[in-house]
Parts: sequence; C-alpha cells; structure tokens
Amino acid sequence: MFPLFRCPKRGDVLVPNEMMKKKNIGKVDKVIDELSENFEDNRLSTKKTDLLSYSHDYWPISLHWMLEDKLPALPDAVVWPENKEEVKDVVRCCYKGKVPLYPYGGGSGVLGATVPEKGGIVIDLKRMRSLEVNDDDLLVEAEAGLNGYYLESRLNEEGYTMGNIPQSLYPSTVGGWVGTKATGQFSTKYGGIEEMLKGIEVIVPPGKRLNLKPHPRTSTGPDLRKLFVGAEGTMGVMTKGWFKIWPCPENRIKLSYTSKRLEDAVESVRNIMRTEAEPAVVRIYDEMETKRHFYDYEEIYGKIATVIIIEGDEKITKAEREIVEEEFIGEYKGKEPVDHWLKTRFSVKEASEFVPMGVVFDTIEVAVNWSNAGELYENVVEAIKPIKGVLFASAHASHFYPQGICFYFTFAGTPPRKKDAESFYQQVWSEAMKAVIDSGGTMSHHHGVGRQRKDWLGQELGGGLEILKKIKEKIDKRNIMNPGNLGL
Amino acid sequence: MPGKWDWLKEELSGFSMLTKLPTMTKFLKGKISGPEDIIKCSMCPNMCRHACPISIVDGKETTSPAGKSRIGMMIENDVLSLNEENLLPIHMCLSCGCCENWCPFDFSVSDILRPVKKRAVEKTIVYEEFGELFDDLKRNGTIYGEIEDQNNFAHEGDVLYLRGCEYRENNSQVIDKTMSVLKKVDADPFILPDEECCGIPAYNAGNIGLFEKLIENMVEKIRESGADKVVTSCPSCAYAYKKLYPEFDQNIEEVEISHIVEFLEEKKIKFNLKRDPYEFTFHEPCKLVNGLGKKDSMRDLLERTGLSVKTPRRHGEETFCCGSGGTTVPRLNKKLSSEIVQERLSELKRLSDEIITSCPTCKKTFENADEEVKVHDIAEIVDSLL
Repeated sequence: MFPLFRCPKRGDVLVPNEMMKKKNIGKVDKVIDELSENFEDNRLSTKKTDLLSYSHDYWPISLHWMLEDKLPALPDAVVWPENKEEVKDVVRCCYKGKVPLYPYGGGSGVLGATVPEKGGIVIDLKRMRSLEVNDDDLLVEAEAGLNGYYLESRLNEEGYTMGNIPQSLYPSTVGGWVGTKATGQFSTKYGGIEEMLKGIEVIVPPGKRLNLKPHPRTSTGPDLRKLFVGAEGTMGVMTKGWFKIWPCPENRIKLSYTSKRLEDAVESVRNIMRTEAEPAVVRIYDEMETKRHFYDYEEIYGKIATVIIIEGDEKITKAEREIVEEEFIGEYKGKEPVDHWLKTRFSVKEASEFVPMGVVFDTIEVAVNWSNAGELYENVVEAIKPIKGVLFASAHASHFYPQGICFYFTFAGTPPRKKDAESFYQQVWSEAMKAVIDSGGTMSHHHGVGRQRKDWLGQELGGGLEILKKIKEKIDKRNIMNPGNLGL
Repeated sequence: MPGKWDWLKEELSGFSMLTKLPTMTKFLKGKISGPEDIIKCSMCPNMCRHACPISIVDGKETTSPAGKSRIGMMIENDVLSLNEENLLPIHMCLSCGCCENWCPFDFSVSDILRPVKKRAVEKTIVYEEFGELFDDLKRNGTIYGEIEDQNNFAHEGDVLYLRGCEYRENNSQVIDKTMSVLKKVDADPFILPDEECCGIPAYNAGNIGLFEKLIENMVEKIRESGADKVVTSCPSCAYAYKKLYPEFDQNIEEVEISHIVEFLEEKKIKFNLKRDPYEFTFHEPCKLVNGLGKKDSMRDLLERTGLSVKTPRRHGEETFCCGSGGTTVPRLNKKLSSEIVQERLSELKRLSDEIITSCPTCKKTFENADEEVKVHDIAEIVDSLL
C-alpha cells in the first residue's frame, strides 16, 4: 500500500522516504519558515518526536508497523493553531507553496485517514476547543478540536446531551466526528453526526473562510454543509460546528433478550423500527460475540443476545417499552447485561492484548437494507472464515434504521507462513468488501473511507466518484488537502 | 462460569494442529510473559486522553498518554536516542494518576515511563532545571535549599505533624492552623525542626538513587521521633510515606500515617457553623484522590462542616491537576503549567472565588496565578469551625 520505510536504529537520522522528499523538497522548508513567523516554537514543530507521533492514526495495521519500527509516512512539520485566523494562515501558506496539509483530530480513526502519505504539514486542531451552549435554540457551538467526552460532560453539567457517544468518545474530537461522518452508540434515537450538525465553519483553499450558519432547516440549493461531513480533511479544515442538543433524558429503561436465531432478533428490531419507537441503543450480538463480550454471563454466553436502552421523556419511554416487549421474539434477561455493556462499552483492550502477540485484528462496519441483512451477515462471515490464518469472524448489529441495519464485523487471525501481517490483513479486507458489495450493502457505516477503503470507493459511488473528484478539484485546485485520502 | 479466553480455545479447537500450534504458542507465550506495559499502552488509542490535563490543554499527540508511551517505546527500541529533546514529552506528565482511573490495565503512564526517566538520570542526561533541584535535595534535604525554621512548636508529643517543604518554607499560617486543629481534636502534635523532603520530587524526575537516600533520611527521622502517628498537610508526602516507601523496602508500618483529610475524616468532629458568609468551591489534590485513593473524602468532610460548598464538574476521580503536580512540568514548561492552572481556575471560579484545597502546591499555584481568588487550606477552614 505504502512504500513502508524502516526507522533507522540509533542513527536518529529520521527522514521521510525519498519519494516524498523529492516531491516536497524546498517548498516545505519555505512554508515552515513562513509559518514560523506567526507560530511560537511550541506550536510549530519539526522535532522527531512530533513527526513520529503524527505519522499514523489508529489504523490497526499501523500498530503492527509500529511494533516493527516501520512507518507508512512522516510529515515535515506539525502545527497547532489556536484560532481560525491561524488556520487560514496555514491553509494559505500551504496552498501558496503547494505543500500537502493534513487535518488531525483525536487520531482514533481506524482507516489511515490522517497518514501524511505525501509528507507536508499536519494541522492538529486540539488547541481550538471552546464551546457555547444556546439554551433557547437547543444548539451547541463547538470548536473542531474539542474533546468528545469534554463536550458531553459539559453539556450534561448544564442539563443537556448531544447524544453522540462513539466508542472513541474519550480520545476523539468534534472535528474528527464530522470529518469521518461518525455516529455513536445511541444513534438509533439521536442520529448520526450529519443529523446533529446544523452549521459549520470551514477554511477552504486558498485560505478562505466559509461560514454556514445554523438554521432549523434551509432550502437554499444543495446542502453545502454536507460536503464537509465525511470529507476526511480533503475539502478544507473545519474550525467550528453548531450541533443540536437535547435536554438530558428524564428516564432510562434497560432491557435484554436472548433469541434462538439471529433472524429472530433482527426481525424483532425491524418490527420495532417500523413503529414510532426509537430506542436509543440496540445491539444484537451473534454467538461468538456474546462469548467475547459477556463471558461472565452464563445465561447469555454463546447465545444470540440483544441489549436495548430506551431513554427520554417518561411517558414516551413507557410506551416504547411496551412496543419492545410486544415485538421482541426472545427470552427476557433483565437489565444486568445492559449494565455490563454500559460498563465495558469503551474497552478496546483487545488490541493491546492481541497485536503484540502478532495477531492481526480489526473491525469492519457496514450497513444494509433489511431485505438483504441476513444474506450480508452470512456472506461476510463465510467470506472471512475460510481464509488461512483466520481465527474467528463474528459480528454484532449496532445501529438501526427503519430501512436497515449496521453490522459490525470483527476478525482476528495470525498470518500463515510466508505471509506478512499486511498481506493477510488486506486479503481479509478484500474478501469482506467484495462480500458486502455483492450482498447489496454499503462498505462503510461510520468509520469512513480513509486510505484503507479508498480502492473500493469507485465501486460504491459509481460515477459519483468522478463528480466528487471534480468538486475537490474546484475547491482545492492544487490538491493540498489530505492528498491521497479517499483516493482523491 | 466460562473463562475470559474460553471462546478462543473453543474456536481453535476446530483447527488442525498445524494451524493451532503456532497461534497457541504465540498466545500462551504472550499470556505468560505478557507484552510489556509500555507496549500495551502504546497500542491504545488514548482512552484516557479526556482525563489527562496535559493532553486536554496541550492538545498534542506527542504528550498524550499513549503518545508518551510510544515515545518511550521508541527510546527503548533505539528508534529514538535517549537525549533531552526526545525525553521532553515523557516528562510532560503531572503524575496525577488520572489515566489509571480509565485504563483497563490500571496503568499509570507516569509509572510505565519511570524506567526510561531513571535510565536517563543514570546516564547523566539531566535537564539543568532538574540539576538544581537535585543539588538542593542533596545538599539541604529540601527543594528550597536551606530553610530557617521559624516555628516555635513542640518537638515532642504523640502526633508528628510533617509540614512538607512548601508550607515549611512559605506558609506558617497554615502550619499554625493545622497545629491548632490537631490540638482541638485532642492530639498532642509536635514537629520535626529538621524535617526533610519526602523525596517525591526526585522520584518524579527519575532520580531514584537520590529518592532512596531521602527515604532513608526521613524514615530514620520519623523512627527517632518516637511518634506512632504522623499527619501531613501534603498529599504527595503522605503518598510517598504510605505507598512508595514500602515499594523501596522502607516500611514504617509501625507508624500510622495520614494526610490531614484522612486524619480528620476518622474523627467524629462536631462543627460549629458560626457564620456562613461565603459560598465555597473546592479542589481535590490528585495525590489525595488517586494516590491515596480518597476519592470522596474531602468532599464528604466539607459536607459535614455544613458550609455552603459547590462541587466542581471535575471532582473525585475526575479531579483536574492544578498544573504544578509531578515536579517536572512546571520546571520544564512553565507556559503549559500556567495554561493548566488557568483551565482549572476558570472552572472553579465559575462557582466561587473562595477555593478550599488540601495541598500546599495547589494552594500556592492558584494564589500565584490569580489575585482574585482566595485559596484556603482545609485546616484553616476546619479550625475556624471548631
């Protein structure tokens, strides 16, 4: 995928690979010089420690590279702006110097979207983190670098929630949520980030500010805000967003079930989603996933299990509960499994446990309409399992819509002899993507595209990819914004 | 009840021995020896970033908790040289222990990286700012150089009150009030005129050899004092005496050691709320909450006083460092330290300008950062209510 290069030992002569260096030589130095006039030392860095820290995100294969002292790429500098004027300055300088620029949030993306593959400047927004709550309009104005947990806990303190609780809540940022078109664990009620985003401020090349203010709804041509949702830093640098918020729910109901067949659980939720009930959380686990996630719950271990959280106004939640109880085909298992899920839902420790042992481990989240749901699940699991070296492939369904479902597949394996971690990893991904597309699904539900999925984007969008490329070309003629990402 | 890894065993049972064996070998090898903590931490996407004051305020991947571990791992692997520039991110740690509260492995990044810091000192890679600190500690046994003891308190009694370097040097008022509180709860407090540093600044900066010497000094002094109870105003000192000294085989278990909050929470004190003119807020020191594990003790004690006290958003195990914790950050990056103080103060000031804390360093830090706030040691408040 990339011409990986090995960090030299002891020499400390870390240089980006020759290809990147040739492309940027001279220009980058000039841009760094220009930026250093406005940025203090501690907010513009070419130190090795900083360059190494921004050479990757949380792309699982890059963890293996890290342990082998290999790098996919290295930026030439990192800059930490504190306001939109400084962001404008960075975009202007990079555009003028034709130097690649990579926006960076919390670095918890899992598809390599921030890997600075062509060298250049990484712009980390995390020092831009103000927020303001507008009680009358139920909106929060948040700068792009604001930490997810910080935002949600500040809102909770004032009696609100945004309802966007991704597994990466603790490390991720608001800008990262918008950039990857993220969605959270409570999305079945509160929606994805694209539904929460009501207004956005972006700095686009060659350094212009675009301010699309929040309105309850607007009928003013194509929705430009959406151009930046899921753009993963390829169209500009988001500096601020306005998001809808909700009063904190007054009631929360926790329910769990086991079902004899996966189809029963899926059909139950499909029927619930056809009513006006909107449970905040619904998660259906297959047999393997209940073994992994509920190993200390004997009643659930190895079975098909569903956890449900209903929250909101007391009267409405009561009615929603009645609907769920009426529709669910399965055995009621109480609230304890839901409490267990709430307690463990942010755990990502398996990566720390498996990767150092040489186990290749990743997740693939996709979405599909109800009519193809069963087929897609079967096809993807069956496509991954026979690959030599795969230890397991399993899934849970984590987000639901009246039209369909998101399946979140997990696989792990050890590369067979004569195969390195990356070839094994790519083989699994390739088989899985093919199965998803053949089964009528969409290849990404909420992790985005990044550098890992870019090769399949054409199949997914058809002629749409060409249109996307033309839009990008018009906005960013010199292709400085995260070049290579999304295949743009 | 199934075990944590039973699912993996079950899955592997379907494979041929040829497939199974290498995987099981790797797995078992990993489970027995376990990947080093520094590697495990490096493989994490920073699931404690939100709790780390450095990471929130500095906003850099390099100084994020997992980012620091990755730098440490690269130094250990010789990808990066062990030098002052590369060590700098590792020292951007307040040792507040907040990361530990959110880590599934209970790691403290500060502890994980201690061997790297220690190796640097052993190889005489020492920042100038640390050199001065080490010299003061070596020469005078305190972080302030030679201290002239101005207090005229008893040198014998039943409770040894260890004031800590900061109050001893700069705040006789709190010392007076603490002695007064101790007397009012029927103790017979006394001080050590030649009290020395607990050693934690050396420990934080990686000078473990010096730390061990300071431990020996203080253990000897405490034993010689004959006290069976020690009370201190400084939660870092209490943490050192109670938690770190035993790790270095210097267990003074015959002596009961408490931070002033721990000491007072045990007492059945009847508070006399004479007047309630102010609305207070409070700031719990990291070492009390995370080091000594007293997650709610300070808040509970304040509640018992009957005072009007507002709870900040970040409290208990989510408390947020004052910016001066851990010795190294205020010495190597004053600007960052000051930004963290402002972050914490802005949160506290939204509730009240009257702040109660129970740590000499936090008190001094807030007072130096903002003239508008009035910062009280908890002993001053308690004394006024007895």
